[in-house]
Amino acid sequence: MPVVELKLSRTNRIYRPCEHLQGQIIVNSRSSISHSGIRLALNGSVNLQVRGGSAGVIESVYGVIKPILIVNRSILVRPSGKLASGTNEIPFSVILRQPSENLGKFYETFHGTDINIQYLVTVDISRGYLHKSLSATMEFIVESDTADFLERPLSSEMVIFYITQDTQRHPLLPELRSGGFRVTGKMSTLCSLSDPITGELIVETSAVPINSIDIHLCRVESVILGERIITETSVIQTTQIADGDVCRNITLPIYVILPRLLTCPTVFAGPFSIEFKVYIVITFQSELSKLHPKTDPRTPRLWLAIESLPMELIRCRSDD
Amino acid sequence: MEFRHRDYTAEAKLFLLGRDRAEIHPLSVHSSQQVNIADDQILQYDDPLRADDNATVSGFYLEDTENSPTTGVSSEYDFLPAEKEWSSFTRFMTQRFPVPKLVSVTSVSNAIIKVGKTHEKSSTGMHSEELEDPQSITENEVKVITRQDYINRLREFKDDLIRAWDASDRVTSLKISMKVTKLLKDTCVLQFYPTLFVLVTDILDMLGNFVWDRIKRKAEFTEDGARICSLPENFKIKDICQNAKETCHNWFCKIGAIQELLPRIYLELALLPCWRFLSDQPVVVTQRLVVMARGLADPLASAYCRLYLTHCAHKLPSCDVGVLISCVNDMNVQLKHFITAKETDSSTDNKVLLVSVMEPTIEYIVKCMFKYVSQRELDRTLLALGLGRNMEISQCVSVVLHHILKELAVEVVSSNAMEFLQLINQSNDSSFRQFMNYRLLGLRLCEKRPPVYIVDTLVNNVLKVIEQNESLDEYLMVIDAYLDIVLQNHLDSCIKTILEAISQRSCNKQIDENGVISLQSILGKLLSHYQHLEDVFALSHFLEILDLLVGGSRSIIVIDILKMATRNSYIRDPATIELLFEISQALNDSFDFANMKDDDNQPEHLLSRFVQLVDFGIERERHLAFLVECRGAFGTIDKLKETLVHSSNGLTVKALKDTKNHVNFVKACIAFSEVTLPSISAQIKQFNLYLETAEVALLGGLISHADELIDSAISCLHNMEIKEGSRAAAEAELLLSSIQKLCSLLVMLPGNPIHGSVHFPKILVSFVNNAPWMTPRMRTGILCAILSLLAACSQNRLPYHADKGVLWGSNNVFFGDSANLYELVSLSEHIVQNLVDAVLQESSPAARGAMALDACNSILSSFTIKDETYAICSKLTETAKLCMNESNKYLQSTFQLLEKKSQLLVKG
Repeated sequence: MPVVELKLSRTNRIYRPCEHLQGQIIVNSRSSISHSGIRLALNGSVNLQVRGGSAGVIESVYGVIKPILIVNRSILVRPSGKLASGTNEIPFSVILRQPSENLGKFYETFHGTDINIQYLVTVDISRGYLHKSLSATMEFIVESDTADFLERPLSSEMVIFYITQDTQRHPLLPELRSGGFRVTGKMSTLCSLSDPITGELIVETSAVPINSIDIHLCRVESVILGERIITETSVIQTTQIADGDVCRNITLPIYVILPRLLTCPTVFAGPFSIEFKVYIVITFQSELSKLHPKTDPRTPRLWLAIESLPMELIRCRSDD
Repeated sequence: MEFRHRDYTAEAKLFLLGRDRAEIHPLSVHSSQQVNIADDQILQYDDPLRADDNATVSGFYLEDTENSPTTGVSSEYDFLPAEKEWSSFTRFMTQRFPVPKLVSVTSVSNAIIKVGKTHEKSSTGMHSEELEDPQSITENEVKVITRQDYINRLREFKDDLIRAWDASDRVTSLKISMKVTKLLKDTCVLQFYPTLFVLVTDILDMLGNFVWDRIKRKAEFTEDGARICSLPENFKIKDICQNAKETCHNWFCKIGAIQELLPRIYLELALLPCWRFLSDQPVVVTQRLVVMARGLADPLASAYCRLYLTHCAHKLPSCDVGVLISCVNDMNVQLKHFITAKETDSSTDNKVLLVSVMEPTIEYIVKCMFKYVSQRELDRTLLALGLGRNMEISQCVSVVLHHILKELAVEVVSSNAMEFLQLINQSNDSSFRQFMNYRLLGLRLCEKRPPVYIVDTLVNNVLKVIEQNESLDEYLMVIDAYLDIVLQNHLDSCIKTILEAISQRSCNKQIDENGVISLQSILGKLLSHYQHLEDVFALSHFLEILDLLVGGSRSIIVIDILKMATRNSYIRDPATIELLFEISQALNDSFDFANMKDDDNQPEHLLSRFVQLVDFGIERERHLAFLVECRGAFGTIDKLKETLVHSSNGLTVKALKDTKNHVNFVKACIAFSEVTLPSISAQIKQFNLYLETAEVALLGGLISHADELIDSAISCLHNMEIKEGSRAAAEAELLLSSIQKLCSLLVMLPGNPIHGSVHFPKILVSFVNNAPWMTPRMRTGILCAILSLLAACSQNRLPYHADKGVLWGSNNVFFGDSANLYELVSLSEHIVQNLVDAVLQESSPAARGAMALDACNSILSSFTIKDETYAICSKLTETAKLCMNESNKYLQSTFQLLEKKSQLLVKG
């Protein structure tokens, strides 16, 4: 049985919309193969679905929403003919976005809970109706074009935050309320995907000893379903920046490297949006917390102080 | 046979050598050398604390010279010494803390316990119960594991990691290292923590090297193995291909995704050198990691994290001192926070322990900091540490201050002495004993003295501050450090204050081990400072303070005092003598002289020397009384008894010279010697002393005493035996010369009419013939001596007299007595016979030749030559000729002499 494989020119399989997707079709066969044409198909689409989260039962049943097509193109690589026995390497090169084409925006590849943006390349060798056609599919990753980038330089402005017992809208431990605490800091809220989130944080006062300070990076996926917006928020990375009752009035750095496969530039498309948020969570030492070892960090608890900040991620020119 | 007549005065004139006046005194040249020796002795004291410093300093120099040719070019080269230093440091650190057999761990260290459990299941069930204390698990979530199991488990992890890496399973490798690193979160293990740290960082370093090698290979070779380039040591990121950068970036992303702070920092540190593939300024990363470490609230965990940071920062080509300065400053802040945190009763001890476990990290970081700081940067560094111009604002915690003081260049310490003193004043916290910092400052200042104008104020301030310290031991330890400065600047009032304070504190306080050591050092310094012992004894409370010392250190000081006392000339001050006698007595009591080896018995030597140097001048009775007292006190010391006899004999001679009315005193002295002598156990020495005393007795006219003493000497000879051994030859030589001396002494002895004049020579001859250990060589020597003695006795005028001829000699009693002469001759004939036999007994030809000639000469000088004597002499020279080369000068001259005399015979 002959085997067909796809091999892309880049090991990391990352391509930009303006670039050519290049690679080889490798066919391995003991005998020669006659075929009626080798075709390559590009397919890119946004798949939306609703399950759980803020969607109701009905929605989750009828959860699947019609996908949004980004690109769907088929090219003839070889006209009908014959492939010699042994290994055949057939090179190909396809431009992703044809300048004439005026299709949808090439969103970056993204795999989320409700939203999936995926690009596939498929090779198809049809061998008439007597033989099964040979095919292989491979995902490739799309990152935004340099031309699409915002021209404005990335501002280094930081958002200043402060967290005290009074900024908390949920009930706190009585000793936290009475003793009080004050944690201040600043953080960048506009961030290039290749750079870490930076900032700093100072514990100014806290009567109750601190157990931990963590930065939770969350992804917010929203899908319009009919007249409702269904939002799903999930924690994608937690980074501890303070372990234990740290010294007061000393600057602690916030430094969070963005996880590569779980992030993409913030997107506001018509039918869906992908946003990010940062939660700064201070856990105070409390006997109660030991009774609930694992909880969603965003769940307000008596021994937690939480501050959330929006985070806009962008693909930046400085990325090679 | 007939004795030859001798005119000794004429012979002496004949053989006298011509004399010339010397231009220079032969000893005058040496005077300057003596000064040098004295100087050396002053410099010789060494401080045990400083020896260590010197060693490390010289170590640094070594590195410098190694690095200098390749400065900045090769980092590989810098690498090695730093690596070595690190490994020796870590080894030292693990040995520093006694680790209990069992390590208690909290739930954080589950990785160790969990696998331990599965491990046990495979072995016996019994084992698991021993391993975990079921009670502690339920109550405090504390588990117990044996240290060895812990270490073994870590080794297994290491092996797993190596295996995973070899199988190209990078994810597993990373996971294992994360698991291992998380163990460092558990600081409950306390004393085990340093060991744990060393084991874990060893694994991390290994991972770091793996990753470095892998990325470097990616940068240098393609996937097919073709070489792209060869990276120079100081490569830049432009030299690195995209693929390698990608891999490297991936690693840091993986590490960045670690949730917990501590493992994240440690792993990034392990891979720190790899940042060079991504950035030309990897120092920036180090700076970030320093501030990240502030998030670790546990003081122990963060201190060791900074230690690892210091270690890893050295792997970068350029180490930034700023990073280390921030480390030290952060450490200060954190320690301050920790120390001032609310203390419950039980936690104070715990804190002290914790700080002691942290101390190596402080030590290492501070050491590294000053090692890499250049002279130019020093001011800036000090400023950054808060030790610049306004030291008052410094935030240094005392334990950090201690290590800074220890490592700082001595010039800086010296020129800012007052500021540092003030700083120590302020930093009085529980992390370190304040007095130890005062002490350290003193020790550092001794290395380079501060300018004179501040010394006075400085010392006064120190005294004022330390005055408040009630503890005797601590007071002593601080004072010990400053004493050199005080003494060198002649601050006599301070010395007075110090001694006063010590005596005051000693009233009701026990002194401990450290205190004793310091006190010993203090007294030693005082002793070496003063020229004369009287000055030391005159210091108020000195003796009182000396009494505080006990045991070995007391003996050492007493020895020092004795050394000082016996260094110069006679000891004449009666008060000093009395004091020295008292302390010597105590020294004697504390030593077991009988069990000491002769060779290096310093106290014994010193005591003898002391007794020898005592001089009461004309108060001779008092001196003798002192000797008697000494005999009572030091009766067990053999060497000292010899000195006593010498001294008493010396006294006698002095008395004989000075005064007329001395008979009773001389008798007393001789009696003293006679009583002392029998207890001396070294026989040759005893024999010599008998002779000496006999000589003195003879000089004093106490002939019967002399007689008895010589009798004792000879009976002492009979008990003597020279055993085989390495020293036998030397001893035989000594004994021979002593017996020769006895013979020369016998010339002067008037002789006892009851026994006859040949009484002693006869005994000697029989001794020579009967002693089984007597060698032919010795026998020949003694017989020749006796022969000469007999010849001398036969003369009308003796060659010499005791006391210029006032006293009688042997011939005065017997001269002219033909029976006596006959006895002399017959004994001589007997001796000559024995002599010839003895010569022939010698087995070695060379020795036999020399002995034959000796005997021949002796006979020639004693007798007038007649046929009989000529025959004997010819026989002896023939024997010598057979044994010796003909050209031998001795042989020739003897032969000539014999010829000359025989011509006389022919003429006669």
